[in-house]
Amino acid sequence: MPPKKKSDLAISVEEVGMEVDATDSGSEDEARRRSRNRRVKPQRKVKCVSDDDEDEEEDEAPRKRGRKKRAKPQDSDEDDEEDKRSVKNKGSKAPRSRAAKVEREDDSEDERETKKKAGKAVPKKEKEEKNLEKKGNVKGKEEKEKDAEKNKKKKKGKLSSSSSDSSSSDSAEESLSEGEIEALKEQVEEKKQLIATLRNKPWRMKRRLLMLKEAQDFVEKFEGALGKGKGRKFYAFKVMMTKKLIKFKRDFENFKTACIPWERKIKEVESHFGSSVASYFIFLRWMYTLNLVLFGFQFGLVVLPEIMMGLPYGSIPRKTVPREEQATAMDLSVLLDFGGYSQYSFLFYGYYNNEKMIGLLKFRLPLSYLLVGIGIFGYSLMVVIKSMARNANEGGDGSDEGDFIFSWKMFTSWDYLIGNPETADNKYASITTSFKESIVDEQENQKDENIHLRRFLRVLANFLILWCLGGSGYLIYFVVKRGQMFAQMNKEDLTWFQKNEVEFVMSLLGLVCPPLFETIAELEDYHPRIALKWQLGRIFALFLGNLYTFLFALFDDVNEKLQNEKLIKNATEWALQEYQANYTAYFNTTAVPPQVVNPADVIRGPCWETAVGIEFMKLTVSDIQVAYLMILIGDFGRAVLVRFLNYCWCWDLEAGFPSYAEFAISDNVLGLVFNQGMIWMGAFYAPGLVGLNILRLLSSMYYQSWAVMACNIPHERVFKASRSNNFYMGLLLLVLFLSLLPVVYTIMTMSPSFDCGPFSGQDKMYNVVMDTINQDLPSFISNIFSYATNPGVIMPAVLLMVLAIYYLNSVSKGYQQANKDLKKKMQIARDEEKNRRNNKDSTNQVMKDLEDLLPNKSLIPPPAEEEEETPIDVVVSKGKKSLKTKQGAKQDGVNLERDVSLAAPNPRAPVTHGPRPRERPPVNTRGPLPGPGRGRGRGGPPR
Amino acid sequence: MGSRASTLLREEEIEEIKKETGFSHSQITRLYSRFTSLDKGENGTLSREDFQRIPELAINPLGDRIINAFFPESEDQVNFRGFMRTLAHFRPIEDNEKNKNPTAGEPLNSRTNKLLFAFRLYDLDRDDKISRDELLQVLRMMVGVNISDEQLGSIADRTIQEADTNGDNSISFNEFIKVLEKVDVEQKMSIRFLH
Repeated sequence: MPPKKKSDLAISVEEVGMEVDATDSGSEDEARRRSRNRRVKPQRKVKCVSDDDEDEEEDEAPRKRGRKKRAKPQDSDEDDEEDKRSVKNKGSKAPRSRAAKVEREDDSEDERETKKKAGKAVPKKEKEEKNLEKKGNVKGKEEKEKDAEKNKKKKKGKLSSSSSDSSSSDSAEESLSEGEIEALKEQVEEKKQLIATLRNKPWRMKRRLLMLKEAQDFVEKFEGALGKGKGRKFYAFKVMMTKKLIKFKRDFENFKTACIPWERKIKEVESHFGSSVASYFIFLRWMYTLNLVLFGFQFGLVVLPEIMMGLPYGSIPRKTVPREEQATAMDLSVLLDFGGYSQYSFLFYGYYNNEKMIGLLKFRLPLSYLLVGIGIFGYSLMVVIKSMARNANEGGDGSDEGDFIFSWKMFTSWDYLIGNPETADNKYASITTSFKESIVDEQENQKDENIHLRRFLRVLANFLILWCLGGSGYLIYFVVKRGQMFAQMNKEDLTWFQKNEVEFVMSLLGLVCPPLFETIAELEDYHPRIALKWQLGRIFALFLGNLYTFLFALFDDVNEKLQNEKLIKNATEWALQEYQANYTAYFNTTAVPPQVVNPADVIRGPCWETAVGIEFMKLTVSDIQVAYLMILIGDFGRAVLVRFLNYCWCWDLEAGFPSYAEFAISDNVLGLVFNQGMIWMGAFYAPGLVGLNILRLLSSMYYQSWAVMACNIPHERVFKASRSNNFYMGLLLLVLFLSLLPVVYTIMTMSPSFDCGPFSGQDKMYNVVMDTINQDLPSFISNIFSYATNPGVIMPAVLLMVLAIYYLNSVSKGYQQANKDLKKKMQIARDEEKNRRNNKDSTNQVMKDLEDLLPNKSLIPPPAEEEEETPIDVVVSKGKKSLKTKQGAKQDGVNLERDVSLAAPNPRAPVTHGPRPRERPPVNTRGPLPGPGRGRGRGGPPR
Repeated sequence: MGSRASTLLREEEIEEIKKETGFSHSQITRLYSRFTSLDKGENGTLSREDFQRIPELAINPLGDRIINAFFPESEDQVNFRGFMRTLAHFRPIEDNEKNKNPTAGEPLNSRTNKLLFAFRLYDLDRDDKISRDELLQVLRMMVGVNISDEQLGSIADRTIQEADTNGDNSISFNEFIKVLEKVDVEQKMSIRFLH
């Protein structure tokens, strides 16, 4: 085969050569002409063609004819075949075969000629036709008949094709260009022929039936293309529509990708800082979408109805700033502390009225408030768990490609469609980064060192960190105690520091501890990915301590306020009774008109819910401030200092001690997670908190991605984040659960304030739901509920759920086990194959050597003429490994012969080269690849 | 522009190209107009400089290798036929081509030929083996000076170690195929030429 191929090539080169000449001359002519006059393009075109044709006709007439003759026989053979096929077919359709095409070429030439000079064309056409007849084959007359018809069609086709080239209009004609029709026709013919000859094929029945069905479908589908009029138009329409559809789909995909927010930004960061840093930003983006949805609930179902349909500001006491605060209510410092006007605004729980239904829509605001408060948790839980499950699935299949990590990086990393220099820069960076990531992974794999020292250091590190955690826990406890003491004192006596001591200490701990942990973690010398997880866990513990200390302090506060509130409530009731008694006594009437008091002057309770909301609001704001300031000072300031002081400093600041900051993934992720915990907890008491959080996430997306690009340097050991950021999600889930507890506790056990918020006047918050069920829904539903809340129903339900969980868990374990086993098996099979191939190669080597040593003593004497023909080959095959020859084709051919001669003495040989013929095409086109080519013969599954 | 291209290209040529490469008629004319627009020298052939004007190739670290792939050995001009023959490697494999009988010889866009094209990009000296040095050169192109020579060397070693099955410290074409077995080459090494 290779020799044949070569000759093929040679022929084609010859042809090409000829044509190159032709085109060259043509284009040169053209160039000359173009320089002469550019205006008269059409004329020139025609002229050009005519020149060419004339040249060919006149100067090279014999040659051309000769060539045609040479070309013709092949074609005509094919024609014969095809004609035969068509005869065999019942299909009465005339075959439009390659012969037709050849004809057409002639035709088209004729046409061109007729266009310009009709006189000359006629004889020429005759000549052509004579030629044809001379070559006369089977088609003969038939063809001629078609000729006329085709001429017509031809013109049309010609027109359409040229117009399609010049204009970009998407007409049906264009979508179905001439070439495609040809190809289709061929295919249809082929299929038809297949149908006709299927009976004789040595296939299995199943396959035959399959092929028959396929072929029939195909013919049915595309025959329309061959027909005229309606069928064809319909087909063209169909083709056009599919094309449009494909294009639309593509555009839509692109559009979808373009719509993913910040994708470009994140990719840019990823390419410079690696997937670990990018994973933070992806997490941030995910968080942002989650919060958007939460905000949608909160704002659409609670805040907006209250603003639109509820009572306006100043109408009732809870919506009015008390008289004594009014003087300072607009002060900025008060507003920033969420006092004054902002305390009595829709941002907080207390603002909402307890009217059962408001506005025209009879919107049940209290019910909606409660349901949204709980729905936020429900939705978050659902989303987090769903994305965790999806990530777990994605992470599962990524693990088995670990065979050729470097090879794949090497051969497939560049994206050849990149056309933008900036993107190319990014791609360079990302390739570099990914190589670095792999290097780190690799180093980690190869590391082996003193295990006892390592263990000791790890224990020591954990000890130190536990100590730190304990210390910080005590510090927080201490500060909270002090804070409670301060709270007893008069507010005016306290300094700013004393007022904000708790927040200050917590922020300080948040700043100091993580770097401390990181330093200690150096002792452990884990792989950075594992180290990150440890770090995350530790900081999580730290923050958790903070959070719960904060919460307990808050609960103390709340309890105190509740008692205070009781007193005030009693006092107001007493005052009201007094007023009534006095009124009755004074005016001697029982119809007491309601007391007219300015809402600002009404005595009111402390409204602990709003206080809690304010606490969370303040915490979030201080969190934002600290985080942003840290970036500004710690990253930006440091970067500026390092950059510019470096010009006048004794040592190299950039490379030396301060250097630039690295992006602290763990801090940022945990900051985000805990911030979200705050939002979840606080959202019930401060509906505005989610909106604030959205602003925060949005700004920090831009701010941080700018900061990281501008001020940070990539980690020293860039590492690859695990594809699923399930660890982050796990933390988030934990925090979600933890923040769920206090909220549910307060809803279920604490009694709401009597004079503020949507549940005022109720004994418990959830009574809203009970009331709705009892009063507004049909009685049978309340019956159902009363049954459903019966312990006799709940207990079995819980039991059932536990059983279901147990069952599902064990099923999934079983699947996991099976998965693992299969993977192991695959690995074993792969190794085995590799070994066998290697072994076989070596045994083959021995055999080869033997064979080379004893060429004449093999059982079957090799034919003498072969030896004579190719004396070189023996040498070649001897020095097989070392000789990477240019005589590839020959060698390969001889290999085959050698194999044949080997076949008899060596019983293994047939096995070795059994599948060879199937593999031949790739081997041949590629030329000689002695060793591996043989190796592959046995093992590799034929593709 | 387009109409000029289509008239300049003679029907027989189109037929031959069609036969050789499998492109459709309109694709050929379209690509021809692209060819002529790339051809700044207006002499019917493309030189290396013509290719280097394409931004995608100019910024591609392997751009020179790709350009080289267009040129037959020891030539620095490529005509339309050669141009098309190289492009044919990137024609997507259509469904009806898959079940064609393999005896007709492999089309240029088969998986093996696509892989061979890629292989040639790395195999500089055309000895059908990618050696360590050749890998190092490619790596140097792809990552610049950001990684030390030593590390690059270890990457190259690792790559060879992964791919090499017969222990000759270089990657042969068969090993190359084996490495990229799971990569969807048919899809990735295809350009959606407009019809």
